[in-house]
Amino acid sequence: MEQTTQEKLNTAVNPSEDLILKVTDLNIAFHDHSLPETVVVDVDLQVKEGDMIGIVGESGSGKTMTALAINGLLNRHDIQKKGEILYKGINLLTCSRTKLRQVQGNDISMIFQEPMTSLDPVQRIGKQVEEPLRLHEKLTEEEYKARAVEALGLVELPDPEEIYNRYPHELSGGQRQRVMIAAAMICKPRILIADEPTTALDVTIQEQIVKLLKKLNQTEKTAILFISHDLSLVRKLCPKVAVMKDGYVVETGETEAIFRNPQHPYTKELIAAIPEIGVKQYEKKSDEIIVSARDLNSYYPARNGKLFGKKKKVHILKDVSFDLYKGEILGLVGESGCGKSTLSKVLLGMVKDIDGSFTNQDLHPQMVFQDPYGSLNPGKKIGWILQEPLKNFTNLAENIREEKAVTMLQKVGLSAELMDRYPNQLSGGQRQRVCIAAALMAEPGFLIADEPVSALDVHIQEQVLTLLKELHDQIGVSILFISHDLRVVYRVCDRVMIMKEGRIVESGITDEVFLHPKEEYTRELLRTSGFLGKNIV
Amino acid sequence: MREFIKARKNFKAGAIIAGILLFMALLSLFWTPYDPEKMDAASKLAGVSLAHPMGCDNFGRDILSRVMTGLRTTVVIAVGTVGIGAFFGSIIGSLTGYFGGTFDEIVMRVNDVLLAFPAVLLALVMVSLLGGGKYNVILALGIAFVPSFARMVRGEVMRCKDLDYVKNARLQGARDLRVIFVHILPNVMPVILSSVLIGFNNAVLAEAGMSYLGIGVQPPDASLGRMLSEAQGYLYGAPWYALFPGLILVLLILGVSLMGNE
Amino acid sequence: MNLTYVLKKLISLLFTLLLTAFLVFLAFSVIPGDPVTTMLGTQATPEKVAALREELGLDRPFLVRFVSWLGTFVDGTFGNSYSYHVTVRSMLAGKLPITLTMTVMAFLMILAISIPLGIYLARNSGGRTDRIMTVVNQTIMAFPPFFSGILLTLLFGLVLHLFTPGGYVSYTRSIPGFLGYLILPAVAIALPKAAMATNYLKASVLKEMKMDYVRTAYSRGNTTKGVLYGHVLRNAIIPVITFLGMTFTDMIAGSIIIEQVFSIPGIGRLLISSIANRDYPVVEAIVVLLAFFVIVTNFAIDIIYRLVDPRIRSAQEE
Repeated sequence: MEQTTQEKLNTAVNPSEDLILKVTDLNIAFHDHSLPETVVVDVDLQVKEGDMIGIVGESGSGKTMTALAINGLLNRHDIQKKGEILYKGINLLTCSRTKLRQVQGNDISMIFQEPMTSLDPVQRIGKQVEEPLRLHEKLTEEEYKARAVEALGLVELPDPEEIYNRYPHELSGGQRQRVMIAAAMICKPRILIADEPTTALDVTIQEQIVKLLKKLNQTEKTAILFISHDLSLVRKLCPKVAVMKDGYVVETGETEAIFRNPQHPYTKELIAAIPEIGVKQYEKKSDEIIVSARDLNSYYPARNGKLFGKKKKVHILKDVSFDLYKGEILGLVGESGCGKSTLSKVLLGMVKDIDGSFTNQDLHPQMVFQDPYGSLNPGKKIGWILQEPLKNFTNLAENIREEKAVTMLQKVGLSAELMDRYPNQLSGGQRQRVCIAAALMAEPGFLIADEPVSALDVHIQEQVLTLLKELHDQIGVSILFISHDLRVVYRVCDRVMIMKEGRIVESGITDEVFLHPKEEYTRELLRTSGFLGKNIV
Repeated sequence: MREFIKARKNFKAGAIIAGILLFMALLSLFWTPYDPEKMDAASKLAGVSLAHPMGCDNFGRDILSRVMTGLRTTVVIAVGTVGIGAFFGSIIGSLTGYFGGTFDEIVMRVNDVLLAFPAVLLALVMVSLLGGGKYNVILALGIAFVPSFARMVRGEVMRCKDLDYVKNARLQGARDLRVIFVHILPNVMPVILSSVLIGFNNAVLAEAGMSYLGIGVQPPDASLGRMLSEAQGYLYGAPWYALFPGLILVLLILGVSLMGNE
Repeated sequence: MNLTYVLKKLISLLFTLLLTAFLVFLAFSVIPGDPVTTMLGTQATPEKVAALREELGLDRPFLVRFVSWLGTFVDGTFGNSYSYHVTVRSMLAGKLPITLTMTVMAFLMILAISIPLGIYLARNSGGRTDRIMTVVNQTIMAFPPFFSGILLTLLFGLVLHLFTPGGYVSYTRSIPGFLGYLILPAVAIALPKAAMATNYLKASVLKEMKMDYVRTAYSRGNTTKGVLYGHVLRNAIIPVITFLGMTFTDMIAGSIIIEQVFSIPGIGRLLISSIANRDYPVVEAIVVLLAFFVIVTNFAIDIIYRLVDPRIRSAQEE
């Protein structure tokens, strides 16, 4: 009852006509454990017509919870909500389910982080785009279809009529996110909530989706709440921003003003973390070549659909040539699917169907994989895992093997106690350290690190990179460092190669490439990673 | 967490039931209330009493004693069957799954054909070829169970084969057989174990069914399935004759399936 | 649906059938017991044995016998029975419809019970009905069909007098009587499978309810019913289809035993008596025939699967 009076009061005192959504003192807590876990604290937010507001924060900062609450998706019994979300005089937190449903998808719609899984896999695209319209407006079948095709056109999908009859799995991630946006826009909502809409996509696709959202905001006058962990992305897109940490909004206002003059320490920290290109001293480590490739091509067999059709081959690597010098860290950058992991498999002899040549001077090349959860045998203890290379490559006695394993464990900053633990008893960062240790046990001259920190949290990333760099300086192992993340590559690599669709399009000393990119593609990668941010804005 | 506790509770209940039955079966090796084969005209089709807790059959034999020895036969056959199926299935499945190629194509083709038959049917045919009796039933059911184990292990091995830790093992110098039997197979064990429990139940069902049809275990080996078939003729006058062997069978299957629910 | 795919699948189906037939024939050719000795007894003169071997064609080479045996499936006689000296086809006549009717009845019962119950339990997951039904389901699953058959006979036949044990009515005499008699055997086969299917569907619905697309559907203003019937159910049913396919195959085997319990003169009883008589041509024919049904069922399941799940369609066509 208390809320209803407050509701009326608020509508009454709301002076500004273009204010469409007002969030006041929003508090959200989970109640499934004995202690309630508060995830959102006293959040205030005001959205005006045509606004473009960024909500920035790390995972767990409460930004997604706030978004879900606004869209009425926090209906579980174990979630406690307090405060007010006022839309058209209705408090969305306390109104009836029926009323809420009239707003959902109609006035306030939402798109999510995972376009791959957010669409119903067994329903045609057209039906899914139409769904919100069917739920909110009574039209004829032809009108539904016409509106859906129109919406698919609005999000710049080629050939909307054709897409209408496709299934989600037949579309790429970027296309699926466009479909999600089309469905979210079909009822011409006043507010669109975009929860990390580009995080799961490749950088070049990210750019397109961001442009599309910007266009929709301008042409359709739809207010957009853009939720992201990426500060430089928000800066490009949103005039206003709210920075969240641990459930609180710590700073809010005009984006540019905050960028120039951050007040809260956390905001300062975030802005400081945006990379700047300093002057890295490059010195050639050695003339000795460890790995060398010349005109390397690789193929992947693909089956033809025809009954007696010939087997086709997909061409993955195209004329790849490079040298890896002893003791250097060579970066290999590219988007997912560009062939960078294939190159690592080829170099380790796991792919047989190749043209061209490569040489590898090292007997036991090793690899550190992306996923520290999958690259350790879950059924063996750490000690056993570390001794495995010695068992296979040497005839050392058990006590010597064990001694060496302990030494290596300490070298990667872990205590000897972990020898008797199983991998699932370790944290992600600890596991990746064990992976590095296991790789180094074989005393390799050549190590491939395939996205070694991508699966880790940002501050753990930092620690593992530092460790890798230190060990590299001590041992002098040559590393091929594969990553999609330019910031990580910049931090550790002496030289870098940029790969696109199986081809190395640019390569050189790291600072050269980052400061004076020759290819448009490299520039695009740098721009989306925030390296060229200042020059562009 | 609540799910986990529930699963543990199920496991405990199942283990208690299965444990009691197993104890009864083991006990029958040393002691049964009466000689299970001793006929006694005086207690022909006698009802439930303190002297005969499960009554007597049409020859006046004590049903409890016969249930105990029958249970033993059932357990021995089920363990033997699952043992054969799991052992050979694991070996075939892991080799074909790991190496792939033509060998895999051929073996899996034959496997698919065998899988097309329900295990009971396959076993029936094999028993008709080999003849009945405890050991032939074990052999027939065991062979009938190999394909499903092989397929399951093959799938798991193929899944694991491409995992990073297996690639890593190869980079660290482990040879193929070491990769299969030291790195992969131990991690597939939990899946094999839960299949073993399911397989155990299927074997119990199959053996009881075959013995019920009269083409499984042969006298003098007691069998729950054959007791049921004999009891069917006395259903109206002596329903306990069918009820007790049947309920023991139900309890055994229930206990093991509760254990496997985890 | 891609026509090449169906054609490809049909060719592989034919191949599987041939391989099955070959394996069955091989198995029956290498067994120790000689059918001629079984038929004539051990006292027979060598001349008589040789004559019978020639008559049965057992003196010809293995491959020739195999091909001529395959021929009997083409001309539809399925070979000759050793024991009764008639074609297997005449022995099978009239028995196949009985077994199939019973299996189909049981299958329909499984669908009728498990689909509504599975959905209901998923919607009320964690409630009292759900908890009780979990225990009930678990227990029902533990009942071997032939034992439930005996219990049903006891209950409906001897206690309630609604059913005459052993009073099988042929479908040539009365179709309602025939169907009526088959209800209890079908129930006995269906019960444990229905319990399993219910559990399976419930788990599948609960799993799908946690998917991202469900959140999308809610965000558009769907009711829970709308989400369930508009999106979740079709996704949830996909894994259940495979299960139901396996169930159908299993039930064909289960019917062999249940026919014995209820004295139903179907394929199963013929198989058992032929095994007992060492009448190999009949056993071989029945086994191949059942394999045929199993393989065709699997083919149908595969097609249904592809109709329901568009992802599989393109994954296999590419």
